[in-house]
Amino acid sequence: MVRWGMVIDLKRCTGCHSCTVACKVEHHTPPGVFWAKVVRIESGKYPTVIRQAVPLLCMHCREPECEKVCPTGATKKQPDGRVTVDSEECVGCRYCAVACPYGARCFTSDWKDYFTGDTKPSSPYAEYSKRKWLEESDKGVVSKCDFCEERVAQGKQPACVNACPCEARTFGDLDDSESEVSQLIKKRRGMQLHPEYGTDACVYYLPAR
Amino acid sequence: MSQSSSSDQSGTCVLQQEDFKPGARTQMEWGFGGRRRWRDGALLMALFLGGIGAGQFVVSTWLIDSVTSAFVGLLVVGVGKTVAHLIYLGQPKRFYRLFLRPKTSWISRGLIFMVVFVAFGAAYLAPDLGFDWVPWETGSTFSDALLVGAILSASLVMVYDGFVLASCKSITAWNTALMPPLFFTYAVAGGTAMTYLTLIAMGSNIPNEDTLTTIDSVLLISMFALLVIYVLNMKTSTATARESLRRLTTTKVAVAFIGVAIIAGLLVPLSLTLYHEVATTETIASVLLALSSILELAGDLSVRHSILRAGLHAPVFSEGL
Repeated sequence: MVRWGMVIDLKRCTGCHSCTVACKVEHHTPPGVFWAKVVRIESGKYPTVIRQAVPLLCMHCREPECEKVCPTGATKKQPDGRVTVDSEECVGCRYCAVACPYGARCFTSDWKDYFTGDTKPSSPYAEYSKRKWLEESDKGVVSKCDFCEERVAQGKQPACVNACPCEARTFGDLDDSESEVSQLIKKRRGMQLHPEYGTDACVYYLPAR
Repeated sequence: MSQSSSSDQSGTCVLQQEDFKPGARTQMEWGFGGRRRWRDGALLMALFLGGIGAGQFVVSTWLIDSVTSAFVGLLVVGVGKTVAHLIYLGQPKRFYRLFLRPKTSWISRGLIFMVVFVAFGAAYLAPDLGFDWVPWETGSTFSDALLVGAILSASLVMVYDGFVLASCKSITAWNTALMPPLFFTYAVAGGTAMTYLTLIAMGSNIPNEDTLTTIDSVLLISMFALLVIYVLNMKTSTATARESLRRLTTTKVAVAFIGVAIIAGLLVPLSLTLYHEVATTETIASVLLALSSILELAGDLSVRHSILRAGLHAPVFSEGL
């Protein structure tokens, strides 16, 4: 059985936010909801300080805290390793969002337009996005990255991987030892975020130096 | 570490800027400060009402045998806490789904404890509330068994909030074994305060007043000791916990934590309770007791509010990534 995972090469990431935008375009997420984001961190000490862009998304953990705490069973671990939220089962208690150590979950109380005030009525794109979002997700529930389930089912790469101009992201089967992701993790010592929590994340980071 | 967020023209929060900041991240989902500012605050009220209501039932039935006060406690949990939870939920119509995962989720467990408590409590009080058709009487073995069930489940309602918070591994200010005893002690003290206020409002004498006052004093001292241990624990813990402590003691949360929770909610009631012993007239004693109880309840609410506001997620990245 395939187990999807992602490797992010921090040496290649320039922090251009293409992944953030591609994700929003693909999933029509409302304002304030970011399934993929990029933050910048500083590490080291003068004179060897490094400013690094770090892309973040749901880690699709093998032992997800969000799934354990979910009181309704809306958060599910799929056989292919993805962690998903069934918006028809979620009650919006947000225990998962509080328990997730990676800040990967977003609560949407209602659709809000991107542009308000003088720009109303909304642009056709905003209307389309709103319609698409409400078709796929309810109000008052939590949402998160699903590794672009529909794209992957069609044999495509997730939108963030596809859009990355630096090819910093690699998507593939972690259970296949010959896959590119497994090889990258092995050869370049891929790291998980917060391994001490025992979540066993399926998103690995290749160090910048 | 700013919590600033941009707002559209209607004042609606549309972007949490902390989403794009490194370092410790404020939990914005529980308590005031979330995307639906006031509705999100209903969760704080649910925690507060659940604690004091269950505490009031236990104190009223176990220590002073007051049916009215116990019934008020039952209503606070059965109606107040339930309504507060429903206001908070994003999809309140699906509330029944909250009971489905008691094996792993403390929210499911807590709500089951709550239903069991309300059922046992209502069944125990039924004969005294005029429901004569029930096939048991107060004082019978069956009634005593109902009381034991109600008190046990009420105790679990008082303590489960602490386990809910303690289960969040990345929030170091919450992920401590101190949370359950802290919430439990506050719930019993809040319950005692509610019992006093109910009896004073009814104009009734307070049975076992000396015992209750002694218990209240011991609880106030225990709460103070637990808070001191909690603060010291954060001081010697991770950088995120120290940042939480900084918020509790130097930002505007300090007004709620130090001003209301510790000074007004613990130290002043302790002085009033001790002074109440030497009050010259019964009226003065009642006024002091009522004032002390109101301050204790304010402190109870404030400590829960402060703990929620001090919740910071550890940074997602460590040095040297």
